[in-house]
Amino acid sequence: MDKFIVNIIHRPEMVPEYAEKVTGHGKEEDIGRDNLLTESLDIFRTQQEIAHKNGLKTTIQMTYASLFNEEAIAIAKEHHEVYGDEISLTLLGLPCTEFREKYKTKDFCIWMFSMEDKKSIVDDVFGKFFETFGFYPESTGSYYMDADLTNYIKEKYPSVICAVATCWEEGPKAYHTCNNSWYTLMDGGPWNPWIPSKQNTHAPAANEAEDSGIVAIPHLSRDLIACYDGNGSNFGTHPQNVLRGMIYEDGQYPYLYNIIDQYRSLAKYNNGYSYNMMFVGPGWMNKMGRWEAPYELLRQSYEDGMAYYGDLKKEGKLEDMTMAEFARHYRKKKTYTEPECALWKDILYGSEKQLFWYADPFMRACVNMDQGGAIVDLRPYAAKLEWQVGIGTKHVQDASYPFLIQEKYRAGYFTHYAGEGTVRSAKLSYNGEEVDLCLCRTKAVFSREEDTRILTLDPVDIEFRDLTVKLQTKISFEEGKSNIKIERKILSMSNPDAQIDLNEYMVGCYGTTEYPEDMTCITLEAEGLKETTTINYEYKCREAEALNAKSVSATVSAIKTKVSMTMVPVLEEKSTEINSAESMNQKEALGYVKEGYAFSPMFTLGYTTKLKDGEVFATWLNLEREN
Amino acid sequence: MAQSGKGKLNYRCPSCFMRDLDIDMFYDKDKDEYYCLRCQYTGTEADVLEKNKMARFRYKSMLKRYTFED
Repeated sequence: MDKFIVNIIHRPEMVPEYAEKVTGHGKEEDIGRDNLLTESLDIFRTQQEIAHKNGLKTTIQMTYASLFNEEAIAIAKEHHEVYGDEISLTLLGLPCTEFREKYKTKDFCIWMFSMEDKKSIVDDVFGKFFETFGFYPESTGSYYMDADLTNYIKEKYPSVICAVATCWEEGPKAYHTCNNSWYTLMDGGPWNPWIPSKQNTHAPAANEAEDSGIVAIPHLSRDLIACYDGNGSNFGTHPQNVLRGMIYEDGQYPYLYNIIDQYRSLAKYNNGYSYNMMFVGPGWMNKMGRWEAPYELLRQSYEDGMAYYGDLKKEGKLEDMTMAEFARHYRKKKTYTEPECALWKDILYGSEKQLFWYADPFMRACVNMDQGGAIVDLRPYAAKLEWQVGIGTKHVQDASYPFLIQEKYRAGYFTHYAGEGTVRSAKLSYNGEEVDLCLCRTKAVFSREEDTRILTLDPVDIEFRDLTVKLQTKISFEEGKSNIKIERKILSMSNPDAQIDLNEYMVGCYGTTEYPEDMTCITLEAEGLKETTTINYEYKCREAEALNAKSVSATVSAIKTKVSMTMVPVLEEKSTEINSAESMNQKEALGYVKEGYAFSPMFTLGYTTKLKDGEVFATWLNLEREN
Repeated sequence: MAQSGKGKLNYRCPSCFMRDLDIDMFYDKDKDEYYCLRCQYTGTEADVLEKNKMARFRYKSMLKRYTFED
């Protein structure tokens, strides 16, 4: 039976984020104001009551500040006894008079501190927790937990088995939405729980040696279309997200329930397992209102959200767990290499768009069916890139896992007048006309054959002046293989004797933001049967090719990643089944690499071949760590 | 002319909201209007509410309740 698991997490944040800027406007800063502390605690108590009256247990993530507050401690102890809530410890909510006096800083994001301060703060916070409760917590978290921080916590406090470890696609988009003042730059992670590697939090562990020892959960469950394109904080399972996005009218917000239900539906791609988390602090639910919404609507939205979860539980469709309970369940349920899959549909804009998200220890990839199955986002987890963050490192704030393809930051199919954007697609040409599959809108169905997850796209018609071609794309992800297989099959042609040219290509670059990086760290290679041609990137617009190339590749040393394309032996016979086993044969194809130029700082890998009616051409896209 | 302050709710600039920017507006009591520090939008509370309705144009399915089978 499918299992839909929910984590409800509350934190008694004595000095809520936003408080000084919003409710404290016009007053001199004083984070010890009595009315601020009282209101925060009242809101926390209200949130707990709402969950409990709907029969839901919570994880209470004590903040450092709350460990100095007797009332908050008493509530946590009582609710643990009465409702089975887990008493946990968050690294959010650090600011309080005691913290500021000790650390002499207004920083509050644990991943941005120096490593020395991270250790000191962790020891302080965990020590205070132990002093208060007599045990160490089993779960912790922040908006982001960098690998070095997690490794330190796990080594020093091995009781920790679960952590809130990232906010999905909260990066440059969220930064811009906040008028470039909110520095949570952490794109590129999984959207659902995973086991982080010791090397990089975003990249799941491939085996026990890489296992960081915790189960990571994302901060909120977010809309996998809306958040990819827009501000993450508008589209998630936090009622405030929905209100902030203005996705309601007359107090009605069916979108909140639609997101929850779409997450429930992901069970069909993930062995019957699906997950949701709602993680709220008190700041958004203050009496002054938030994001145009009065207090009454804020409260009502939380009541309604919890009631929906509560009703699902009563119907036997939901199981509420604490974070530690969930971590134990997840460890039993998941293997290291089992991927997380989501064929996500637009539930907000009425576009009927479909994206497929795939994450495993080797990659995170997004396939866009509205662009003919193009890969529009690709993160090479295979590199397990060590990426220290915080003061004293090269990346004080930027914790994102680098991309090779990101259509929003480095263009996709569409560019202005010149140059190319990052995408993995194909072009068909015939008698001087060319069509890119990015312009063929379609849909996909998901299936599984043993350890391979398969996306089969509905066939599309490509109309040339005097030829119509019906083509089908099939994309396969074989578990544990670190590659993606893309097959194109000509199902029919209006002229059965015609022959078209197919160009399978990937335009890539690297980075974490919209802005270009230094490309001179990239080496391009076309490996032929007898010799290999190498291009060291110098923005000189050079090209190299090799007939029946063994591989065409780009090594991006700045992110320790090698990406390559290779050919797959293909079918020649007319068959309705792309994968039927008749007459495997190697088709002749020309492998090529292209260097970019200053106005188009990209590289291109690809193969061109000729296809007739009924023929198939397939390639692998392979990811590995450099060397 | 006295300094501006927050209004009764923290209204954001509807013009900036439509370009994915959350900018709290400030209230000018002398003119009885909200205004944006970043762009050139100004408006009464009624105008803000009207423009906020307009900003929802992109959410064509905002009030649709999908069934689980969808």
